[in-house]
Amino acid sequence: MTLFRSPGRIAAIVVVLVLFVLPPLWLLLSALKPQSEIFQWPPSLWPEHFTLENFQKTISRANFGIYFLNSAIVSVSSALLSVAMSVMAGYALAKFRFKGDTVIFLLIMSAVMVPLQIVLIPVFLVLRDLGLLNTLWGLIIAPAATPTGVFLMRQYITSIPDNLIEAARIEGTPEWRILLRIIVPLALPAIGTLLAFNRVWRWNDYLWPFLIINQQEQWTVQLAIANSIGRFSINWPRLLSMTVLSILPMLVIFIALQKTLMNGLMAGATKE
Amino acid sequence: MSGGDRMQLNARGGSAAGLMRLAGRTSWPYFLLLPTVALLFAFTLYPLLQGLWMSLFRRGLVVVPQVPESIPVFVGFDNYLQLFADKDFVVSLLRTVLFVAVAVPLQLAAALGLALLLAPQTRFNAVIRTIVFFPSMISGLIIGVIWAWLFARNSGLVNYGLSLLGIPAVPWLEQDQLAQIAIVVAWVWGGAGFNMMILIAGLTAIPKDLYEAAAIDGTSPWRTFTRITLPLLEPSIVVVAVLGVLGAFQVYEIVVSLTTGGPGRATVFLVQNIYETAFKKPNQAGLAAAQSGVLFVILMVLTILQLRVVRRRG
Repeated sequence: MTLFRSPGRIAAIVVVLVLFVLPPLWLLLSALKPQSEIFQWPPSLWPEHFTLENFQKTISRANFGIYFLNSAIVSVSSALLSVAMSVMAGYALAKFRFKGDTVIFLLIMSAVMVPLQIVLIPVFLVLRDLGLLNTLWGLIIAPAATPTGVFLMRQYITSIPDNLIEAARIEGTPEWRILLRIIVPLALPAIGTLLAFNRVWRWNDYLWPFLIINQQEQWTVQLAIANSIGRFSINWPRLLSMTVLSILPMLVIFIALQKTLMNGLMAGATKE
Repeated sequence: MSGGDRMQLNARGGSAAGLMRLAGRTSWPYFLLLPTVALLFAFTLYPLLQGLWMSLFRRGLVVVPQVPESIPVFVGFDNYLQLFADKDFVVSLLRTVLFVAVAVPLQLAAALGLALLLAPQTRFNAVIRTIVFFPSMISGLIIGVIWAWLFARNSGLVNYGLSLLGIPAVPWLEQDQLAQIAIVVAWVWGGAGFNMMILIAGLTAIPKDLYEAAAIDGTSPWRTFTRITLPLLEPSIVVVAVLGVLGAFQVYEIVVSLTTGGPGRATVFLVQNIYETAFKKPNQAGLAAAQSGVLFVILMVLTILQLRVVRRRG
């Protein structure tokens, strides 16, 4: 494991830093330049004239606020729904034995092999038949059931001692109370991790809104970004500032929960 | 079954027999599972079967009684046969296979290099890891925007760097092969950090005394790497490879913002071709469903093959 020793190691670290810091930083710095400086050659690495002009223009376009709000509504609601469903399903699979439990578990996990990309057409028809096209409800409900979430919650809830549940049952506690008062509080760390992951996944979704939404008032931030990319011309000052704004909420979540997210990943969660 | 076996089973399954006795015969677990199963059925399993069924028909995306061509007609495996003569499909399929063959090993190599570099548990490494992981938090669409801006011909940082070395501006996104290279670069960059974390988890699990023994024997670092690190890291490498192959076959979002499939159709991959066939060409939904069927079979066969490799070794 000690293949890399200084000074080779130091050089490698510098290369890694350049490769991973520079691209997003260049995006941010460019967004802070006035239009003339954005396209200047040779480019100025550090903005010569700092300006928030691009951001002001983007934000003052009435619609951008709506896109941002749509993304926020969808990602928060869908994450909450998804976590609630995953806790329920995970609890059932971790702490109950019933007819068909293995089959149901395998059925849920097999959905991992069917990404949205290969069921685009029939999913579109299902959404249409359920009346979910062009609604934010479609964006909230359709991606909410995730095998990853169910698996993560099942693994975590399995480690909760059985005798806690048993004791509650002997006292005659109703089942729904056991779930809400014992399982949920004890599973909070996993719930937090899953909530954060879902929030990120749903904020980043492009294919779902692309399939579901075609009215501009219902665009999410990702759709707005995709739609501002013309095949032959791109309004870079607008695109750059929109992109930076769209990353900010994820950056906040990431900085706040960086340890939880990266350790949760180690515990077996995977990106969708 | 011996008592010990049962204990083990309980520890693994997680539910003691006593627990179930108290819960009695109840529909409660079915109720708990209902929302998840219903949504997965509606948006994954039913569409999968429906899609395979649709691939046996010639039909429009939406059936309109006034448009005769949109009304489903059973054609058996005709759509699949027709696909092999469909140049757009064949080219996009081969291009996707080539992309997988190039991008997945590159990303694996990058992730392995990063993991070896950053695995030692120091505060400094933790900070760098966080930075490298960050692209996993943003969407493919935005990774595409970031690289489109870096690769821009007359204002991009890449060409500026090259110009400092005396190399004239490269038209990255305007020439077929260069644009394909750009997609590979962006894709490798976007996923390297995530895969690095999987590999670091694997590296940390390798017993330290093996390295100590190798050091005492005076084994060279390269031999230590090939004889200890690589074989013991294999399970994690397989995970990275499986996820990489599945992801790379579905490459689309990065393309939308980086090249929109261009120049010409040089960076149109399978998923984009399916989408365009279904939504932009009239009455070819059956053909698009057949393309999805081909992609599904590829993904399933690859997953099963790779799982079998893991099981045989494990």
